[in-house]
Amino acid sequence: MSESNAPAEEVTEGAPVRRELGDAERRARFESEVLPYLDRLYSAALRYTRDATDAEDLVQETVAKAYRSFHQYREGTNLKAWLYRVLHTTYISMYRKAQRRPQESPQEEIDDFSLFDELSRTTGSSPEHEVLERFTAEEVRDALAELPDTFREAVYLADVEGFSYKEIAQIMDTPVGTVMSRLHRGRKSLHQALHAYATRRGLIDASVEG
Amino acid sequence: MAASDLSQCSDECREALHRLGAFLDGELGEVTQAELSQHLARCSPCTERADFEEHLRELVRRGCTDQAPEGLKDRIRVQLDEMSAGSRG
Repeated sequence: MSESNAPAEEVTEGAPVRRELGDAERRARFESEVLPYLDRLYSAALRYTRDATDAEDLVQETVAKAYRSFHQYREGTNLKAWLYRVLHTTYISMYRKAQRRPQESPQEEIDDFSLFDELSRTTGSSPEHEVLERFTAEEVRDALAELPDTFREAVYLADVEGFSYKEIAQIMDTPVGTVMSRLHRGRKSLHQALHAYATRRGLIDASVEG
Repeated sequence: MAASDLSQCSDECREALHRLGAFLDGELGEVTQAELSQHLARCSPCTERADFEEHLRELVRRGCTDQAPEGLKDRIRVQLDEMSAGSRG
């Protein structure tokens, strides 16, 4: 079997290869080690693609690629990061190339935005925390969906999956500095999107002037 | 107005807030993480902001706990059966 675009080489340094595994053992190991991540991968795929059908296709293709290249995964290294690297490369090849959406356009004005300050200014005596609890899960997901692809992915990997900057850099194949900037701006954009929902829903008083 | 007016804030607060994101990510290194923890322990406006930011991240986490549909799991098992059979040939 030939592998043209082998994923995740940089997150699989060291340790032995498992190419010598028999088919049955390989299959059993894959099922017991990888399939428990299916829900997590699907949740990530939903955020990446923003479409349930696309998310299922992406996860199915990711699992197929992971199975084909499972011999490249080194035992004892970070399986979860390796799987997210496969998910990332699969997502790029299936969707991002086709869409050619403009990404990371300059949004200097978001850099200073603070949802906390906006809420402090406009919610009167109601604590900022209470306003957060009024957002529905769907609103939070929608706000996340509005972020540019690379911001959304970085925020997802950090805030939901708890990956370190270094792991995210390896997963997204980008320098750590770029990860930090995507996270910073992604989170700011998320704050802005939530602020817009809060205003629309009347959770905050839009008439209050700063 | 909530008790978080930063107008009287020190340079130390400004520095702390600048690094808050990386601090909450645990990415500042042992010494700086400890310094910032100490600052938060004695500064309630900064602590309030840190808690708010943590709370927001928790909301994002809670919003992203989808389960893979059973149909997808079934298709993946069939796919693995086919791939396993294929590699034997």
